[in-house]
Amino acid sequence: MQQSGQTGREIYPQYDALWHLITLGVLDGDHAPVGWCVEPKDKPTRVAIIDTSVAAAHPNLQGAINTELSMDFFSARLGSFAFAPDGLATIGCLPLNLDTEIADGLPHTAKLLAELRDRLSQTSKAHANGVAPCTSPAFSSHGTSVAGLVGARPCITQQHLPTGETTPLALPYTGVDPMCEIVQISTNFDPEPEGLILAFLYADIIGADVVLFPRNIADPHRTIPEIGDIKPGEEPLSNLVRQIAPNPKQAEVWGELAELIVNISQVRPVVCAAGNANEDDGIYPANLASEHNGIISVGAVNAKGYKSSYSATGNITVMAPSNDAEAFDVAEVRLDQQSAAYDPVGVPANNANHKFSSYDVISTDVPGPAGYSGGPFAEAAIGGSMREYGSYFNRFGGTSCASALVAGFLSLGYSTGKITGRSGVEAKSWLLTHCHHHDRDEDACNVLCWSGKPVFPDGDGQTMPAPS
Amino acid sequence: MDFHDILAQHKFTVTATGLQLNATATQLVANPDGGATAGGSLSLLVLNRNRNRNRNRNRNRNRNRNRNRALDAVAGSGMQEPWKEREKLYAALDQWADLPIPLPPNTAQLRRQAVDLLAKQALLRTPREAHREHEIMREASIELSGYLRPLGVEDIGGYEATETLFYLILSLTDEIGLRYKDRYNVLRPNQIEPRLRPLLPNPPHQSYPSNHSFQSFSIAFLFSRLLPEHPASSELFVSARRIAENREWAGLHYAADTNAGYQLARMVAPVLEKVCEEQMLAAQAEWI
Repeated sequence: MQQSGQTGREIYPQYDALWHLITLGVLDGDHAPVGWCVEPKDKPTRVAIIDTSVAAAHPNLQGAINTELSMDFFSARLGSFAFAPDGLATIGCLPLNLDTEIADGLPHTAKLLAELRDRLSQTSKAHANGVAPCTSPAFSSHGTSVAGLVGARPCITQQHLPTGETTPLALPYTGVDPMCEIVQISTNFDPEPEGLILAFLYADIIGADVVLFPRNIADPHRTIPEIGDIKPGEEPLSNLVRQIAPNPKQAEVWGELAELIVNISQVRPVVCAAGNANEDDGIYPANLASEHNGIISVGAVNAKGYKSSYSATGNITVMAPSNDAEAFDVAEVRLDQQSAAYDPVGVPANNANHKFSSYDVISTDVPGPAGYSGGPFAEAAIGGSMREYGSYFNRFGGTSCASALVAGFLSLGYSTGKITGRSGVEAKSWLLTHCHHHDRDEDACNVLCWSGKPVFPDGDGQTMPAPS
Repeated sequence: MDFHDILAQHKFTVTATGLQLNATATQLVANPDGGATAGGSLSLLVLNRNRNRNRNRNRNRNRNRNRNRALDAVAGSGMQEPWKEREKLYAALDQWADLPIPLPPNTAQLRRQAVDLLAKQALLRTPREAHREHEIMREASIELSGYLRPLGVEDIGGYEATETLFYLILSLTDEIGLRYKDRYNVLRPNQIEPRLRPLLPNPPHQSYPSNHSFQSFSIAFLFSRLLPEHPASSELFVSARRIAENREWAGLHYAADTNAGYQLARMVAPVLEKVCEEQMLAAQAEWI
């Protein structure tokens, strides 16, 4: 434990913005790919991200987002294509597998699939029933960060100088797999199952190689802790606390959604965030992960190699780099001693403050005043030339971040031909062969690494290799 | 310059004050700490964690000092007429004036739905449902407790922009809903079923769609655009549905009105997120 005289000074280490890729073993200390190289692909690995919308105009996401197939289910029940220039135009012939049998045995889902097939017919309109997608970039922060971690590309863009001239500007940022393509599938957050069923069906129809689900599902029957078995009196607790009218049919549909996610994971890996509130076995649907399916539950490890304080603990398939957070409870006291707000009064002597890491994971942000980082100008670019780059990136974290890195990792495995099997179980098996049992204090976890052993840059005796 | 050259020759370094490019050309991330917290917080379920890297106990102390201040400020002064937003709204009239909500039920179907309202009227006298009456009375006029309480910020200072946003949404959606009501001109339930005794007088406009439903779900849809992974984002939808269903329990709306209000809110959200962008960003800043 540090002496009090050294605390609260806000002295934080500087670090490489791509440290997470070095820890993952994807890049070396000089940012050169380790055992792979970027090659143009006729058929890039397709990652379906089911999340919020995305700011596709971000310069590091150019070429990463499939603007033809990305779909929004927020506003239009059967989806509106998120980037269609003309909502009234017919969608024409898209590369879709409408003959999927993924809904077999799920009657409600099969009906929705039939509706979706009809909606995706060649003569249907880009915007279903004339309803525009709800995909304003201003409110696409989460999706933009997640997409950047998966598949951003380094780029050269233009910078607008105060003199009015422009000059080339390199943005040396990359996702785990800069060769992949991302199909963004956005939904709303109404706790009803239909929209998510349609989103997962669409991920199957477009033949995604990897499905990323960096969020939870507010299924009232599966929200943890589950309360279905608790009966304070004559009636189940779930009935007693119900705020709205019961909907027996919807309860069945919720059940089908859970089955559908498992079914899809048999065909293609489904990567899920395990949760940021120390959930015992992860949030739903990450907690569906088992050795019999291709659902991959992802926890977070910080830049010191310790489990992030917030990360879920049980039933984690794999851990990947992310940020950390303070904790002050019976399970752990892990405080940021460099924080100006740090107060040693009341901090127990046997604390775990040494485990705290100030490192965040840098990702792409919505340019301009919106997004996590904000920006000084109402318009971040003039004529396509950037006025600043600060608002284009943000500090990210949580198991959303870790799950995005794992999805990118799998995508890289497909893009480089290192994974041959397409099923979720095969992909998960390959992933587990790249895990290292990492044991620090009482925290033991499977940490992902492409080559060699993971190295953690935030001091504490485990330093990154120095750039040559 | 290809992938490898860009990464080999250029480098971003994260410093305590921002993001530094190539060690010489420094530009700051405008709000690095907010960005950090936001990213971690919004990821999943930890919205109240680590704000400005302070401990929760510090944060709560600060919040408590401001109790009761904000609502007085907002409610007491009232909201200015949102003329700029109305101008934007009407500039986009073609995007919201004819959204495809289902046609209303016919009279026979309304009569059948009114039977359900009779049943609710009877059940309202049972102990289990009696407390709804208080909610119905409270929700009869515009007030925000039904939306602020699920978010945990009722009577707590520091969320004035969130409250302003909610009032703005209520204001804009009110007149959007009136257009649809006027178009379909559906009679109120007790005009179809005289045995109904509504708890409140019929408002002076038509029944379909329910504006309480439309307005409440609009708040839920737009708030979920601001903070999609806040646990209360989903809970706001539950609150919205309860407020809408309470209008059925009051004998003022059919279930079809509730459903149409929901659908209208969902479909008008793409318009409102553009019209209300400035207020939404201001509200978002209070949370991240």
